[in-house]
Amino acid sequence: MNEFSSTIREILVKASEAYGPQDAIRYKAKRDKGNGKKETVVEAKTYTQLREDSERFSAAVDGLGEKGAHIAIVGDNSYPWIVSYYGTVNGGSVAVPLDANLPAEELCELIDRSDATVLVYDKAREAVAAMAREKCPKLKHWIATDPEAAGADVPEGTLLFQEVLDGQQPGYAHSPQPEDLATIMFTSGTTGKSKGVMLTHRNLAENATAQDMGFEPGMVLLSVLPIHHAYCLSMDILKGTSLGSVICINDSLLRVLKNIKLFEPNIILMVPLMIETFAKKLEETDWLPAPIIKAKVFGKQLHTICSGGAYLNPDYLKRFEKYGITILQGYGMTECAPVISSNCPNNKKDGSIGKCMPNCEVKVVDEELWVKGTSVMQGYYKMPEETAETLVDGWLRTGDLGYVDEDGFLFLTGRKKNLIITPNGENVSPEELENKIGAARLVQEVLVREKDGVIEAEIFPDLEYASKKKIKDVEGEIRKIVDDYNEKAPLYKRVVSVKLRDTEFEKNTTKKIKRF
Amino acid sequence: MFGQLAEIITNYVEVKKEDIRPESRFMEDLGFSSFDFMSMLGEVEDTFDVEIEEEKAAGIRTVQEAVDYLESL
Repeated sequence: MNEFSSTIREILVKASEAYGPQDAIRYKAKRDKGNGKKETVVEAKTYTQLREDSERFSAAVDGLGEKGAHIAIVGDNSYPWIVSYYGTVNGGSVAVPLDANLPAEELCELIDRSDATVLVYDKAREAVAAMAREKCPKLKHWIATDPEAAGADVPEGTLLFQEVLDGQQPGYAHSPQPEDLATIMFTSGTTGKSKGVMLTHRNLAENATAQDMGFEPGMVLLSVLPIHHAYCLSMDILKGTSLGSVICINDSLLRVLKNIKLFEPNIILMVPLMIETFAKKLEETDWLPAPIIKAKVFGKQLHTICSGGAYLNPDYLKRFEKYGITILQGYGMTECAPVISSNCPNNKKDGSIGKCMPNCEVKVVDEELWVKGTSVMQGYYKMPEETAETLVDGWLRTGDLGYVDEDGFLFLTGRKKNLIITPNGENVSPEELENKIGAARLVQEVLVREKDGVIEAEIFPDLEYASKKKIKDVEGEIRKIVDDYNEKAPLYKRVVSVKLRDTEFEKNTTKKIKRF
Repeated sequence: MFGQLAEIITNYVEVKKEDIRPESRFMEDLGFSSFDFMSMLGEVEDTFDVEIEEEKAAGIRTVQEAVDYLESL
């Protein structure tokens, strides 16, 4: 049953009152077997525990004198991550979820730009936390979530997450207002600089609870997407909580298939890249009956995959239907907290991105989709010009081209903004990559684009420089430059295809390279 | 190890085992998507009964680097 909420605290309080003793979060943990070996077990926390732990976190933040502060959270999806998030936003502070896979320097830049005074991090991000001590002068408190940090060489002043919780009581009484800022999420800008999307409690809570999908309480959901992304945070965690779902945490992208068999979910949110890989898995033994293949690959319980983050080829809907799995495609952007439209189990159309969410409306201006409603962001943090370009009289300019058909279903036809959206739902700014690769002296001009689902860089080398430096293998050197860039870049931002050209790019009247 | 890994690789991408070289790059040369690559490493974990760190996995570019990493476990 769908319960509409206007603050994130409402979502958690209602869920704990309705589903208190039921499992809220399940996750894998390592336990000592007693013979020097460790075994993997599934542990769980109930809705009551989730609410109480988050209230303890809120109390702890207040005790540090940081109520109302910006709190950066960087780490893999985990119970402590979720507790830190709920504790931050429900206690009157602002969460800044960050991409755990970014290089340390970039993370420090975002931590500083977000004006965070508290950093919550996991064991794999210890190097980031150490670097932040030098590069982020506004930071005052460090909270390490990983219990393995206890007893290790932990810098002085670092707080340990479990000790922080153990030192507090539940029942922290703060009631956030719907218009209070809850979260700043960074999204790729088309000019190469990430933009901090400011989302209120109302933006996130109403997006998570406005649409009744007809799902029952107790549904098992496996959360595989990166938790710092609006799609995962809003739909897996917030909506999952509001529905009394059992939210199972996938511990690594390496183990999605294994974890599907372990947790036996009914529903998974995915991006097209995952759906494409699973389609191949389903079809590699197509001589067996479909129910057997499905049980072998996905277990018997999976009935729904929600697809978002990037456009999914509609062919996949029929391919999965054969195995009794419904794919529901949706559309959104971080700036809309994030879902703008979604197909629903009883209201869907192949090829479309669904009908507009009940809490927003869509119009088409010069073929571009504009959105208005209670999930539209407040603006970009400390970027008034970019905000003014994107928000016009309360309408969000999506940068995506599309139309609405006579039945109210939305369809995408293209993209106006210069942004690559990869098949795993990540936004990549071509200009950011062009700036980084173009910094090399041997690169005179570079254009980055998406081609056949991968990132391609087309490069015009500086032959004068090559001659001066007596570089014989220009192509080899260019490929080394791209390799050096790739080494420091997260997987989804890597350049897969390199093309060299022997003439300059065509320019427009303002001397900028023409993008085709 | 190389041969077994090459066999697993052919389950994910359309490439002949004999065309897989130690210097072959998973994404650029063999056509793996990032998720194909991670899923394949998940299967490798089960086949060789090892535990792969996702952070280390993200740094592997070539087949030889994968072999070297697996042999170090």
